[in-house]
Amino acid sequence: MKNPEFVLSTILAIIITGGIAYAPGEGTTKVKLAICYAGLVLLFLFGFLILAGIASGKIDISTLLAESGGGASMSRFQLLIFTFVIGLSFFLIVVSTGKFPDPIPAGVMTLLGISATTYGVSKGIQATGMPGKIPPPAGNGGAGGQRQ
Amino acid sequence: MRTLATLAHWEGIVLLAGLFGVVLWKLLTGRISLDQLLEGDVPDPNCPNGFSTYVSGGRTQLLGATLFVAGYYLLQVVHNPKQFPTMPIPLVGALAGSQALYLGGKARALLLGRLQQFFHRRMQ
Repeated sequence: MKNPEFVLSTILAIIITGGIAYAPGEGTTKVKLAICYAGLVLLFLFGFLILAGIASGKIDISTLLAESGGGASMSRFQLLIFTFVIGLSFFLIVVSTGKFPDPIPAGVMTLLGISATTYGVSKGIQATGMPGKIPPPAGNGGAGGQRQ
Repeated sequence: MRTLATLAHWEGIVLLAGLFGVVLWKLLTGRISLDQLLEGDVPDPNCPNGFSTYVSGGRTQLLGATLFVAGYYLLQVVHNPKQFPTMPIPLVGALAGSQALYLGGKARALLLGRLQQFFHRRMQ
């Protein structure tokens, strides 16, 4: 078994679901609560395991912004910033209002669209402009993708 | 149901803050490298790998524009976290222009450079 922690998380979520289902109360409400709590617990444990994996280096994100010639990619960096900003804003709004924003404003889509389009076009230019760039020797900051 | 909402609230905070924290920590400690963030590639037959780097104005202005727009947006949300802020059209235009400038500079350096090399070889 390669990832026992994920199996254990699932088993824990099932146990919680079972515990709530056997608690006293009205049937439909209990089922709803059980599913919600199990989902939350599962989501948290999976998220936490992934975070722990990233923090410990088991999941390698050192080339998140890297390019083949060594160094970082500007288009990846700006996409990362905008993704974080929109994600954080979305979370703050949901926490403040208690509901999902409906509809998602066009401004948010525009911002992410501009950012993601730049990344895509940059990747295209890179692939066309320097298809055969030789990567530098290993140990250059863990860089290893194509410069974008 | 109130406990469930509180739990979801704190779970979101822990997971999002954890992800931001881990990425930020790796950026600050250099495990995610930001070397040559402001340097562009240009074809150079004298270099062993065929390309040399130069400090790119396009990348520098894009970094400035990105940080400005992201900071502005985040401040607006922090001041009024009830709804997504409306972005001023000139600001969106400036960001789009900045990205276009970056892409134009990159295309010029890489694609035009290759064309120049091609014609240079044909002339020799």
